[in-house]
Amino acid sequence: MYELLLFGQVPRTRHEQLLKILAGVAAMQPQRVLERHVIYKPIREPEEPGSNLKRGANQSVAQQKQTKQTTSKDLYFTRVVQTLNENDFGREVEKPTSSTGDSSDPKWAFHFQDVPDTGDRGVLMRLTFRTDIVGGDACEYMTSLGNNFVSEYYQEGHRFVHGNIVILLHRILQVPGARVVETAPTQSLPDFRTLEPLDPSGGYILQATIRVQDLNNPSILDGGVDELKRFKQSMRGCVELDVPDRLLFDTRVKYKPKNIANVGMVATQAPVR
Amino acid sequence: MAGTDSTTQVALTAWPVPENEDLSPAEIAQQLYLLGVQRGNFRNITEDALQNEIETHVLIQEDAQGQHEEGHDKKPQNKKERLKEIDEIKQKMSMELTNALFYARAGLDLIALALSKGNPRVTDQFLSPPIKQLNVPREAFGLASAREEEVGPTEERKREILAKGTRMKALESSANNILKAAMQLETEVRKETKYWDQVLSISEKGWALRRLRRDVKHSPLAVRYGYTEVSDHFRHREIAPLRMGEDGSIMLDPALTQRPKTIRVRISEDGNITGASSLPRLDEALDQPIEKLIQLARDSLFEEEIYYEISMETRQLLSHGVELRNSIVHLPAPKFGNRSVSRTILIDCVDRVEQLSQSSNNSQDSLARNVAEALRILLSHEHRMRLHRRSRIPPPLSQRKQQTPPPPLLRTILSCFQHLSAVDALKGYLGRTLRTLSSAGLEVPIQITYEATWAILSKVVTEASRKEFSAMDRLLDGFTRPFDSIVALMLPSSEIGQHEKLTIATRTSLGHPIYGSEYKVTIPSSVASILLLPQESKREFKFSNFTELIAYIDWILSLDLSHNFMSRITPRFVGVDQESRCTVLIMKRKKQVRKEMIAQFSDGSLQVTLISDDPPAQAEYVWDGTGGQESFKARVMAFLKAN
Repeated sequence: MYELLLFGQVPRTRHEQLLKILAGVAAMQPQRVLERHVIYKPIREPEEPGSNLKRGANQSVAQQKQTKQTTSKDLYFTRVVQTLNENDFGREVEKPTSSTGDSSDPKWAFHFQDVPDTGDRGVLMRLTFRTDIVGGDACEYMTSLGNNFVSEYYQEGHRFVHGNIVILLHRILQVPGARVVETAPTQSLPDFRTLEPLDPSGGYILQATIRVQDLNNPSILDGGVDELKRFKQSMRGCVELDVPDRLLFDTRVKYKPKNIANVGMVATQAPVR
Repeated sequence: MAGTDSTTQVALTAWPVPENEDLSPAEIAQQLYLLGVQRGNFRNITEDALQNEIETHVLIQEDAQGQHEEGHDKKPQNKKERLKEIDEIKQKMSMELTNALFYARAGLDLIALALSKGNPRVTDQFLSPPIKQLNVPREAFGLASAREEEVGPTEERKREILAKGTRMKALESSANNILKAAMQLETEVRKETKYWDQVLSISEKGWALRRLRRDVKHSPLAVRYGYTEVSDHFRHREIAPLRMGEDGSIMLDPALTQRPKTIRVRISEDGNITGASSLPRLDEALDQPIEKLIQLARDSLFEEEIYYEISMETRQLLSHGVELRNSIVHLPAPKFGNRSVSRTILIDCVDRVEQLSQSSNNSQDSLARNVAEALRILLSHEHRMRLHRRSRIPPPLSQRKQQTPPPPLLRTILSCFQHLSAVDALKGYLGRTLRTLSSAGLEVPIQITYEATWAILSKVVTEASRKEFSAMDRLLDGFTRPFDSIVALMLPSSEIGQHEKLTIATRTSLGHPIYGSEYKVTIPSSVASILLLPQESKREFKFSNFTELIAYIDWILSLDLSHNFMSRITPRFVGVDQESRCTVLIMKRKKQVRKEMIAQFSDGSLQVTLISDDPPAQAEYVWDGTGGQESFKARVMAFLKAN
């Protein structure tokens, strides 16, 4: 399904005031959201960008018709998100063996987000998939699918629902200290108080989202875009909601050319972009 | 010639002096400027000195120098004083100049006015600029001569007194104005204080205030007394503006002075009202504190919402006997115990002051009150559920439009009534049967649970399985689901130690798929084997009709009696069939006599029929629950021994 997004920035001093304003706008109390994002990268290296297009001409006409030019498949960074409570921190991560009937929401979920679409609608639009993982170990599953662990971070904030719009006011937290190259997500969650925000000024991000099932029906898509724009208008003067650069949300794995070790190979390689 | 190569030709002679000595004003100015550059200032220059200068070719600079040397000692002091003197003289000079200018202009004006007698256009040319700036039309100017009057002393005094009098009057009126303004300010301040005091007291009680209209700058305040989660029908009624009245108190908006409404629930049996619900009596006077009025308005809105939701729901429940006639909702009521009376519950929305019970019979008041309270509790539960549903992450936008069904107010009550009446009917029937059985000497223990969640109510409240709901909501959530009741009874033939249980589960739900009450009977394995059911089949049977159910249970019990009980009594037992006919072969005078005994339950009474072959005879015995009858076993033995 597709997500329509708008982002805004909130400095630390205005955070409480904005929480109250949003509570009034949405007519509900804020719901605390604590998440842990674990990012994975596929093991397979992406191919050269031009390698799928054939070079040179084929002599036989018949063969030309048979061979099709395949589109290059992109490899994406994917992430697994775990919803947490305040008292989950400082404890060992429980390995879910069987789904307990405690919480109705499953804890882990698999997120896939595509590059946002081009085209200027006034909102950012991207394809996204979200799969809730009800049982089993999500991290092991990702590793066995052929992904490498990249990094993890925590996201804490508040959520409101206003009509069809989900409003998320959040910031990213990290374990402080030198960045250690890790190969697996940590087993025990650190104490919540020791986490530091990624942005040293403590600023928050306001994200307004509408999900659309598919793009078949343009009137529904326009309706969603209109609703987001109306929300942006109503927030004018309080928070500026805007469309950031779409390439900042690029989740594709970039092609890294190999080192120039052999001069002979350089001549046959395609020029790097 | 070398001269022709040069660019210019210059003649070095003195500037030609003009012939006439009269210089034009521009030339005079030029000369003055040149003189100033040459000489400096004109202060000490006299004609004689200039003449001397021409003769002696000595520049006069000694004077300045002489004076300069004299004042050398007192130089600093002199400078300041000189500066001051210079300033004073400057000011005097400017004053004199202004005066001169004034008089010159006045003279000019006089002459212009005098000239204007003949030709009014003259005023344009000759009037001085300040007067011209007044933009008076030139026809307004004129000159007339008047004679100066001689005013005698009395006349003069009169004039003086007149002047004084008008001055006094003017001062007095201005004083009066100021006093009036002060008084008005005081009343305004008092009004505002009173108004804001009242508004503050309203806000302190917890009511939400906001501006009436967002776009207008100075819109009056309004209090929001409605609920946040009302349906769209009532959205426009949730605020009442607070305007300032004559003496500062809040003027009551029509929304607040309407007669408050309430739900009235009445029970009618065969057309007579036998019970009614009512709220505590209202004080009629309108000068109650404003908070009370707001609260009454909110309560009235709540009650109106109940009535609206109920009338919407009636449309869906027409098939269950609910109807809306004359704006009164008619609800078929259960017959708790008393079967012959047909009861209807009437719900309508009336003014609060009119709900005095007019009938004499108040026997069913408690039922009416309970129904009214239940409706209110269910509506507030629905409000909380709406908030909860709104707070969930919404599904992605797609073409499917989701319609919200009306809140389950009447449905819950109807379903509850139906469930209770179904279980009661079952209980009545079983009670009769058990009495019959016990009068026949067969004790059957029985367990009745009216509703599964009601039995574990305290556990539901204290245990938090779904943490986002409060305890109240979890309780009420159980009411909106289908009701389950379980009745378990042992078979009459079961001995101590066996657990042959016959279970009857009653499930009531007004929606899909049950649309009412449903009975599910689970028969024990012994009976299943009698009925020749395969071992692993589900021993459950569903009935939607009560008479079918009791017929089935009658049959099961009779089967059980005949197969399991009677067959164990008599040693010479041959066979039993599915009509609970027990066949016994008895040796009588060396002849096999076939005797058949049939045990049958019907409508709570047990009947045993003996049919013997030879001689053909038929005897019966009935137990119907009255005490003092012989036991089943004895009777059967007696039958067998009888001839």
